[in-house]
Amino acid sequence: MTLFSGEPASAPYLALVVIGFLPSEIWRALAVLIARRIDEESEVFLFVRSVATALLVGVVAKIVFAPNPELSVAPAWVRLGAIGAGAAAFFAARRSVFAMIVAGEATLILAVWLLGK
Amino acid sequence: MPAARGAFFAGVRLALSGPAFYVALSLMGVGSLARAAGFPVGAAALSTILLWAGPAQLLFFGAAAAKTAPPAIALAVSLSSVRLLPMCLSVLPMLREKKTRLPTMFAAAHFVAVTVWAESLRRLPDMERPARKPFFFGLALTCMGLTAFSTALGFWLMGSLPKPLGAGLMMLSPIYFLATTARAARSGADWLAILFGALLAPLTMAYVGGGFDLLVLALVGGGAAWFAGFKARRAA
Repeated sequence: MTLFSGEPASAPYLALVVIGFLPSEIWRALAVLIARRIDEESEVFLFVRSVATALLVGVVAKIVFAPNPELSVAPAWVRLGAIGAGAAAFFAARRSVFAMIVAGEATLILAVWLLGK
Repeated sequence: MPAARGAFFAGVRLALSGPAFYVALSLMGVGSLARAAGFPVGAAALSTILLWAGPAQLLFFGAAAAKTAPPAIALAVSLSSVRLLPMCLSVLPMLREKKTRLPTMFAAAHFVAVTVWAESLRRLPDMERPARKPFFFGLALTCMGLTAFSTALGFWLMGSLPKPLGAGLMMLSPIYFLATTARAARSGADWLAILFGALLAPLTMAYVGGGFDLLVLALVGGGAAWFAGFKARRAA
């Protein structure tokens, strides 16, 4: 079931460096090399920002909609409910990250516990 | 250089007064994600040291668990890290001195991520220039060290916790990153990108094959959100 069954032990580390570390570090390295300031309001940056934002939401959605065994003990409506409760707390507490985490986690953990899973 | 040592430990103290614990807690879930994706604990902790960017780590392990194609993972991770460029550009000039060597700047750039960046922007301007670098590295190393440890802790806790808490641990990073993404939203286009991402997810998961669903989602949803913002800016 694991991604690397039958691979050498170094495979996950190689994957981490090649498709994780390098693609992300390139932007930091570029920043060192670029002398002048980049305009954060240019259309290219705004486009990339939107794409990256949608991407992150997509990953969250994949984890919530297609959960692994540990998370799947919470039924779909509980997972979505936890996100909803978190979002409500987020806005109620004037866009507080902390409030969203506490409310979302409390909802999920409590619901799973009450369902006796 | 006792002055430099003092500045270094001032950075350590600031980290331990809150920021280090905050980022450490938020990346505990990445450890459990790594385990779920079939990675060893060393790779989980190393991802914190090498990537040092929660969203990129979440993407990496989340996409790997979903059997996404490696080139798509690399592209997705890279896209999620573009924001590091302007972030680095806003911090590095504050650290640079006349005799600062290039490797030192690369090292400093590697530590720039949301927590260290925010604290640097807040504290560095008021500091004497020679104190800034040691302060920065004290802050950054403490945050990263504690977080690498907590990532490993998240990995080990996964599976040994009661089921409700195990599910909670798995849910920690998605909730945290959704919250920070929403927190960082500045414009209508940002909110549209969040909305489109959420709406498109079930569709791309069902209809886009080959492990490229995330990329299609990001380009279509994010592109549409950007275009809406572009039109609005033009009309204004």
